[in-house]
Amino acid sequence: MGKELRFDGRVAIVTGAGQGLGRSHGLLLASRGAKVVVNDLGGSTSGEGKSSESADLVVEEIKRAGGEAVANYDSVEDGDAIVRTAMDTWGRVDIVINNAGILRDKSFKNMTDADWDIIFRVHNYGAYKVTKAAWPIMTGQGYGRVLFTTSSAGIYGNFGQTNYGSAKLSLVGFANTLSLEGQRKNVLVNTIAPFAASRLTEGLLPPAVFDSLKPEYVSPLVAYLCNEENETTGGVFEVGGGFYSSLRWERTKGKVFRIGREVSPEALRGSWKQINDFGETEHVGSLMESLGPIVQNVEAGPSKGGNEFIDVDAALGAKYPERTSSYDERDLALYALGVGAATDPNDDEGLRLVYEGYGGGMKALPTYAVIPGTNAILGFAKEGITAPGLNYGFDRVLHGEQYIELTRPLPLTATLTTKGAVKDIWDKGKGALVVTTLDSYDEEGDLLIKSEMTAFIRGAGGWGGDRGPSADINVPPSREPDEVVEDSIPENQALLYRLSGDWNPLHADPGMAKAFGFERPILHGLCTFGYAGRRVLEKFAPEGNPDFFKSIKVRFADNVYPGDTLITEMWKESDQRIVFQCKVRERDSVVISNAAIELFEELPKPKEKPAAPADAPAAAEPTSADVIAAIDQFLSQNPAIAEKAQTVFQLKLSDPESLWTIDLKAGTAGAGETAKPDVTLQLSEQNYVALQKGEADPLKLFSGGKLKVGGDMMSVNKLEALGEMPFDLVLEKAAARASGASSDAPVAPPVVRDPFAPKLFEALAKRLEEQPSLADEVGAVLQFYVKDPDSKWVVDLKNHPPALKSGETDGATTILTIADADLAELSGAETTPQSLHQRGKLRVDGDVEPAHRLNFLKGLI
Amino acid sequence: MGRKVNVIGVGMVPFAKPGQSEDYNVMAAKAIKAALADGGVEYGEVEQAVAGYVFGDSTCGQRAVYDVGLTGIPVYNVNNNCSTGSSALMLAKQMVEGGIVECALAVGFEQMQKGALAGAWNDRPNPLGLHVNVMNDAQGFTSAPPAAQMFGGAGREYRWRYGTKRETFAKVNAKARQHAAKNPYALFRDPLTVEEILASPEVFDPLTRYQCCPPTCGAAAAIVCSDDFAKKKGISNPVYIAAQAMRTDYASSFGDSMIKMVGVDMAKNAAQAVYDESGIGPEDVDVVELHDCFTTNEVLTYEALGLCAEGEAEKFIEEGDNTYGGKFVTNPSGGLLSKGHPLGATGLAQCTELVWHLRGQADDRQVQDARIALQHNLGLGGAAVVTMYRRD
Repeated sequence: MGKELRFDGRVAIVTGAGQGLGRSHGLLLASRGAKVVVNDLGGSTSGEGKSSESADLVVEEIKRAGGEAVANYDSVEDGDAIVRTAMDTWGRVDIVINNAGILRDKSFKNMTDADWDIIFRVHNYGAYKVTKAAWPIMTGQGYGRVLFTTSSAGIYGNFGQTNYGSAKLSLVGFANTLSLEGQRKNVLVNTIAPFAASRLTEGLLPPAVFDSLKPEYVSPLVAYLCNEENETTGGVFEVGGGFYSSLRWERTKGKVFRIGREVSPEALRGSWKQINDFGETEHVGSLMESLGPIVQNVEAGPSKGGNEFIDVDAALGAKYPERTSSYDERDLALYALGVGAATDPNDDEGLRLVYEGYGGGMKALPTYAVIPGTNAILGFAKEGITAPGLNYGFDRVLHGEQYIELTRPLPLTATLTTKGAVKDIWDKGKGALVVTTLDSYDEEGDLLIKSEMTAFIRGAGGWGGDRGPSADINVPPSREPDEVVEDSIPENQALLYRLSGDWNPLHADPGMAKAFGFERPILHGLCTFGYAGRRVLEKFAPEGNPDFFKSIKVRFADNVYPGDTLITEMWKESDQRIVFQCKVRERDSVVISNAAIELFEELPKPKEKPAAPADAPAAAEPTSADVIAAIDQFLSQNPAIAEKAQTVFQLKLSDPESLWTIDLKAGTAGAGETAKPDVTLQLSEQNYVALQKGEADPLKLFSGGKLKVGGDMMSVNKLEALGEMPFDLVLEKAAARASGASSDAPVAPPVVRDPFAPKLFEALAKRLEEQPSLADEVGAVLQFYVKDPDSKWVVDLKNHPPALKSGETDGATTILTIADADLAELSGAETTPQSLHQRGKLRVDGDVEPAHRLNFLKGLI
Repeated sequence: MGRKVNVIGVGMVPFAKPGQSEDYNVMAAKAIKAALADGGVEYGEVEQAVAGYVFGDSTCGQRAVYDVGLTGIPVYNVNNNCSTGSSALMLAKQMVEGGIVECALAVGFEQMQKGALAGAWNDRPNPLGLHVNVMNDAQGFTSAPPAAQMFGGAGREYRWRYGTKRETFAKVNAKARQHAAKNPYALFRDPLTVEEILASPEVFDPLTRYQCCPPTCGAAAAIVCSDDFAKKKGISNPVYIAAQAMRTDYASSFGDSMIKMVGVDMAKNAAQAVYDESGIGPEDVDVVELHDCFTTNEVLTYEALGLCAEGEAEKFIEEGDNTYGGKFVTNPSGGLLSKGHPLGATGLAQCTELVWHLRGQADDRQVQDARIALQHNLGLGGAAVVTMYRRD
């Protein structure tokens, strides 16, 4: 509690102190040493009449209790006179409690000017006059406490109280500013919204409620706020009936229109939900904070503009969701074939790009690096994911430019995370350019591919924005090219290239191509890009080794049709930089311009795998193959499982893909489809192993869409029988695989855990010796049948002294059957007896009720 | 309130095991013809029909009534899981009550397959998904039939709360078998002792196999009509529906209680609505058909319907208040446990049984002087339909 809050030597003015709240405030302050001016006009609740009686009674009451008080009978409108009473009597004023008030409740329809005026005169003008007269005294002495009394009728509204509500809430505004002006002079100003039974509310409330809303519940808050210990100022408090609470403003994050963007009533209608969204809010405590968003918006400067297709402010810097993808030798080979590699299968340069068994080692064609990023963007388009502020359809998009750069040669397999973001937006008049970065990181999080895709958005420009850089780069020199290569592009090349991921029907569907205004399906720009990139590397990379590739930049200038003859012209500008362009012989048009490839000066080292710990042959990560091998062995050792289940499960795993059959009819498990499945399960390799390990929850995987079940779903739970298989068996298979041993090698029996029950009951026996009263809490003879490994225990917590023995009894009141491992869980903090019972892991016979009190088993060990 | 609704014709076929029944349309047509004959009604007088079934492709209802007549009347197909039959009855009743028709038919049928209930549509959210989540949180998911896990789990919670003996649940089916022995329409008519029931293989503690209703095939039908229509048919004192209410799940179903998850609050609220509407309390009821899909649910339902106070079902059973000579006779037909549970037919078979009792036509199993009958039919997913029948 600390020391008592006292008011010794302080002089307090309490207006309207003859009855109710004011009287209660005055009595409390006086009882704690304050000298109190008890002001009361002695009028009726509606402000009529005048008498000295009520103030005198309170003064007498204070004096009788040994306090000091003086009466004042002036109206608060004559605040000077009230303050003068304090000065004349004691020569100072420390505390002003503006409490006096009257009511003139009328519906607004029936409100008269007189009703309105008198309410404002008493509540607003009266509080002003008293405070105004005391203010110079308090600021002069460098100490003061001012309290205003507002009302929830003003804060929230109350039928019939337009006059009262508005006058009362005006005091909050008054106090807000006054608290700022008084703060430096140690004059603190607070406001309360009390709800108490008083003359003003008498008759409105039933007697029982009236009693529990005593003013005595309000006055302690007033005393605290007016004490010198209090440091709060500018506060508003709701109080009454034992409830104390602080009130503040809250506002929504709202909607900001950047300066220069058109704001129309329709735009506000469109943003109405956002303007009123209280899901994310802020609490504004000052005028400066209030202006914060406005100042920020002004400082952010004019909008970068935009139109119905593009909102530059919203889109610039926007990030796309991360995408994970992986590729292997097959993907690289398919891509290389897609860009015309290995048309001569006897040519080593082509063959090593498409054949994983190539003698000198397969090489990745580095322009494949464009695929993860473009597939991510195409995936977004397909799923309808757009960056905020980019509101155009895919039909407006033309691939304008492409840049990729590698930090090291592409590995033959990789799992990559691609992060996309909008980097630049340029207004090209008729259209717009949107530059998107799509960088891909390897599994260790290191950057492997930097990619920049520039899209030309037809008809989406013209908002008067920045046109962006316009100087041409990678302009071919005027001399004849140093190298020229011709490629006849086969008629079916687009159909082959699209298998690497660009599904756009424009490249395959004759009808769709016509709809886009082409005579037939056109070749992918990125296919041409791959042709050209491959040719430049053949001619200029040292020994034609594609691993020297560092970067490529191209501009797509015109379309290529399958069947065209592509001419790639190359100029060596330095050992590391080759400028090139591509033309189509048939139409003599430039199709790729402003293009260059950079080469590494030295071959970057391939990334080293983190070294495995030297002494860890057991670190072989188990795979689905190990799990299936373990299941196969387990099923052959436990034929009853299959006999009971009679169901065939097929597993379709992904990342990497594999297909397995767990045949719980024949009692076997193996690769491929060995029997017609009743149930199919689709999930990732990683999740399957985690599931078998017990680290993943099947229901969560299922509800999260990561586990798909086909066929007879209700039979899925028959797989549960495999939960009995010890995971050690899988680890053994994995270790055997890693060490190259035959997986048929004999397997060590699973590790047996020490039985828990003997330890637990030994500890319990000890506890019972120390604390025989434990028996009184249970009052039953418990027979425990513990399983796996089996043991039997009698715990007599009924007779005195309590007893515990191994074995059985006829006199048990409650029989408990539980597995040793579950007993261990119960004795720990993990579970409750009720939960174990509900899960069928604690079987209770006889009297059930004592089983509710098994918690004495907790914390013994 | 609308018009009074009378049940003037009922009929059903003897229930059969899967694989041993006739096809659904044959069974349904027999039940309809029996109900028509019972009420002395021509099929041509039926103005609308509601057909209930759970398993089967769309419009099985039409296929079923077409075997009785091709009069072109509206036919609605209803599926509300195990409360399908009484849902069909409720729609037919509302047609008459609201003055839309003078005479309507409700028919329910089911041609089930062997084994535990299973869903057919596994490529989309399971309608019981929310219920299964509650169960998974409370007790996990095992290889037992899912419905047994739900109602068995509710039984576990009940046992834990009230210390109920396993025998108490078994007694419910021993009683059901005694009742069924006298019902030629029932599937299992051989008596079973409590010991035999407890000794049958455990399905999901405390449920043993003999405490679970079997998959069943069957059909039942009812003809409902207005007072005018009954009068025209010369029926002077027909059985009528004194009150009827359906309730679906409340938020309480999806908290942490298995008892609530299996629909106890739906049943409680539906029963209360029926008591309020009819002005008749549970103490005035003579005979009850209630949804004993598992013994545990019969126990829970005694309390939900107010036949006994909460936690006192064991005493209620031990004192024989659920059979002849006690306060109520529950499931004189043998219930779902012994008569069988063809999902779509159950609600209308319950109706048929109760109408027979109110007319004094229940032969050896007649509840003496039965005047007021109560029906409770529950479907998970969910819907509970409670109906009070009366004959003045």
